[in-house]
Amino acid sequence: MTRSRASLVALVAAVTLVTGGPAWAQSAGSAAPVGQMTWASHVALAPTWFDPAETPGIITPFMVLYAIHDALVKPMPANAMAPSLAESWSMSKDGLTYEFVLRKGVKFHNGETMTADDVKFSFERYRGASAKELKAKVARVEAVDAHRVRFTMKQPWPDFLTFYATPATGAAWIVPKKYVEQVGEDGFKKAPVGAGPYKFASFKPGVELTLEAFDGYWRKVPSVKTLVWKVIPEESTRLAALKRGEVDIAYSITGPLAEELKRAPGLALTPTFFPFTIWMIFTEQWDPKSPWHDKKVRLAANLAIDRQGVNQAVYLGYSKLAQSFIPQGLEYFWAPPPYPFDPKRAKQLLVEAGYPNGFEAGELSGDMVYGTAIGEPVVNYLQAVGIRLKLRPLERAAFYQELADKKLRYVVQNGSGAPGNAATRIEVNAVSGGRYAYGSYPDIDGLFSEQANEMNPRVRQQLLFKIQQMIHERVMFGPVIEPAFLNGVGSRVAVSGLGLIKNHAYSAPYEDLKLKPRP
Amino acid sequence: MKRFIVKRVAYAALSLFLLSLTIFLFVRLTGDPAVLLVEPGASKADLAAVHEQLGLDRPLWVQYGQFMSSLFRGDLGNSFYYRTPVLELYLSRLPYSLLLAAAAMAFSLLVGIPSGILAAVRVNRWWDSAGKIFALLGLSLPSFWVGLVMILFFSVYLGWLPSSGSGTVLHVIMPAFALGWYFAAAHMRLTRSSMLEVLGSEYVKLARLKGLPEALVISKHAFKNALIPVLTLAGINLVIMVNVAVVVETVFAWPGVGRLLYEGIAFRDFPVVQATVLLGGAMIVVVNFLVDILYAVIDPRIRYER
Repeated sequence: MTRSRASLVALVAAVTLVTGGPAWAQSAGSAAPVGQMTWASHVALAPTWFDPAETPGIITPFMVLYAIHDALVKPMPANAMAPSLAESWSMSKDGLTYEFVLRKGVKFHNGETMTADDVKFSFERYRGASAKELKAKVARVEAVDAHRVRFTMKQPWPDFLTFYATPATGAAWIVPKKYVEQVGEDGFKKAPVGAGPYKFASFKPGVELTLEAFDGYWRKVPSVKTLVWKVIPEESTRLAALKRGEVDIAYSITGPLAEELKRAPGLALTPTFFPFTIWMIFTEQWDPKSPWHDKKVRLAANLAIDRQGVNQAVYLGYSKLAQSFIPQGLEYFWAPPPYPFDPKRAKQLLVEAGYPNGFEAGELSGDMVYGTAIGEPVVNYLQAVGIRLKLRPLERAAFYQELADKKLRYVVQNGSGAPGNAATRIEVNAVSGGRYAYGSYPDIDGLFSEQANEMNPRVRQQLLFKIQQMIHERVMFGPVIEPAFLNGVGSRVAVSGLGLIKNHAYSAPYEDLKLKPRP
Repeated sequence: MKRFIVKRVAYAALSLFLLSLTIFLFVRLTGDPAVLLVEPGASKADLAAVHEQLGLDRPLWVQYGQFMSSLFRGDLGNSFYYRTPVLELYLSRLPYSLLLAAAAMAFSLLVGIPSGILAAVRVNRWWDSAGKIFALLGLSLPSFWVGLVMILFFSVYLGWLPSSGSGTVLHVIMPAFALGWYFAAAHMRLTRSSMLEVLGSEYVKLARLKGLPEALVISKHAFKNALIPVLTLAGINLVIMVNVAVVVETVFAWPGVGRLLYEGIAFRDFPVVQATVLLGGAMIVVVNFLVDILYAVIDPRIRYER
C-alpha cells in the first residue's frame, strides 16, 4: 500500500466515524422497540441465509444477514465500506497485511462478547462464493489480541477488500465461535446467533421467518420490535396482501401490477438498484466471415435500440439505461458516452457495411425472464433497421450453461448481478479465459494482467478505464438496461430501508426502520 | 387370498421402484441445480464446489444407489436449497395439505353430489343445463385464474377474507374453493352419469312399480349404488389434492406439499422433487392396493381370476 492509500483509508474510516457518529450512536435514550413490520418476499427463504459461511455470491441472502448478523466492514448508507464490527482498519505499505481493530463490547445475541477469535474462526469457516480464491490469496489470519485481527496476503492483492468487505462474499460477517462449535453446523442453521440488530425467533422453511429486536445491538436499539417475512411467490397475491395491509412491504412488483401499485392510494412504488446489467454479446465479432465482425454492424445494433422506450414499457421508466456491460454503481466504472436512439444512422451504417437491405442475423438467445421481457423489444428494434434476429428464450439454468460452454451463437442477451467491481466483471466477460467471454483482444488481456497486480488505486483506475474505453471503441457489447427492482411500500411504514444502501436491493439497515406512529 | 395379496404387494413395490427410477432420472434431465444456487457470473471453481457439496460430482449410478440405500433407511436426503432433511420438510407441510384437501374435498362433494343428483333427476331440464354449465366452467377455468379473481373480489374489494397464508379458518375458504371447484365439477359429472345409469336399472324400475315414493327411490335405492364410483374417484382425488395442489397453494401462499413441490422444481431441488413425487406416488399406490384388496374381499371372482 502506498502512503497515500493508507492515509486515504484512515481518512475515510475517520470521516465515517465522525460524520456517521451521531446517527450511529442513538442507542442511549432510544425508546423500546414496538410494532411489527412484515414483508412479502418473492423468493423462498432458506436456512443457509442465516449462515454467512454459505453466502452464494448473490445479493438475496443479505436480506436476512443484515438483520441477524453483522460484519467487520459492510456497505451502509452513504458508505460502501463502512466500519461496523471493526472500528477501523489499515493496510501495510507493501500491501501484504491488513489489520482490523475491533469494536469493544460488541455482544452476540446469546450474551457472548465478540473477540478476534470469532473473526478468525468466521473467516476460516467461510465456504461460500469465492472462498477458494479468498483463501488461496490469504496466507494467514491471526488474532493479534482480543480486539485486533491481522490478515496476511501471499502477495499484494488490490481486490482484497472488494471480496472481503462487500456482498461479494460473506467472509467478514462474524459468527460466535463457541456457539457454533457447541451446537454444530446444522444446529446453527436451526437457531442462528449473530451480532446483528435482530435475533432469531422462528422459521418455517420456505414459509415464514420471524425475528425480534436485539436491544444489545451496538449501533442502536431498533425501533421496530418484530420483523416478519412471509413468502408469497405469486406477484398478484403480494400486491393484494399489500393493499389489504397484511404486509407492509412487497418485493418485486413488475409491469401492469406496478402501474396499479403506483395508482393505489396510500401505497408507494419504491425502486431499488443493485449492480445488475443486461447487455448483448456479439459472439461472432471475431469471425471475419460473419456480418457481426464489422464494427459498423455492431454500432448499428446499438443505435437501433430505444433504451428509454424499453425502460418505459417494462419498468415504468424507473430503470437506468445501461451505458456499459458494467453497472454504473460498481467501483472503477468508466462512463462511456451513451448510445442515442438513431435508427436512421443505424440504417446508414448498415449500408456502409454492405447490407443496404439488412441481413439475416441469426438468433438472439436469452433466459426466460429477461430474455423475453427485454429481448422481445430489442429484437423488434433491431428488425426495424434490418437486423433480422429471431428471439430464442431458454430456461435460465440451461441458458447460463450454454453460455458458459460458448454454445450460443449470433447475439446473446446476458445479465449479471454479481457483486464485485469493474475488474471482476471484465475478468468474467471480456478477457481470455473469462467464463462468459467469447473472445478477447491481446492488448485488453495485457492491460488486464497489468491492473491485477497494481496496488496504486489511481494507476489501477486508469488501467481499468483504458480497458473500458477500448471495449467501448470496439463496440464489443450492446448494453441495454440496468433494471430497477420495483417494490411496494404500505401506508404504515415511515422508513422502509429501501434504497438507503447503494447497490442493495432490499430493506436495510434494519435498525433504521420505522413505523408511523398510530393516529 | 394370500397369494393375491402377495402379488399385489409385489406389483406395488415394482411400481414404486419404477417411479423412483423415473423421477430420479427425469429431475436430472432438467439441468444443473448448481447454476441456480450461484450467481450467473460465478466461476467454474464455485460451481465445482457446489457440485461436490451436493454430491452431484459422482456418477449417476452411484447417486441412485445412495438415494435408494438412504430411502430404505427412511432418509429421503437433504434439500439442496433448504439444507434440511426432506422428510422433515414434507412432514411440516403435510398437515396444511391435509387440511386444505379435506376442506376442498368437503366442498367438492357437498356441491358436486347434490348438483349431480339434481341434474340426473331433472335430466334435460333447467337443473341439468345449469349443472352442465357448472361442470364446463369448473373443468375449463384454470384454478390460478379462479384464485386470483377470488383474491381480487373477496380480499381486495370486499375485504372479507385474507389474501394468502394460513392460520385461521378464514384463510382456508378461498384456497379450498379454488381447489375444490374443479373436483366439484368432476364429481358432479360422475354423479350425474352414475345416477342416470342406476335410475334406468331394473331394480329401480321395480322399486317404482312397487309404488315407493320417488324421494325414497332416489335416496335409498339409486343414490347409494350410484355413490360407489363417485367415492372411488373421490379417494384418488383426495390423494391428488394433498400432493399436487401446486397452483392453488402457490397463488394463495398456502404452505402445503404442492408448494413444496413447486419450490423443488423452481430451484431444481432434486431431493425435494424426488421425495414429494415418490411420497405422492406411494399414497396412490397404497390407496390402489387397499381398493384392490377391498374389491377382492367384496367380490370373490376377482381374487380367483387373478
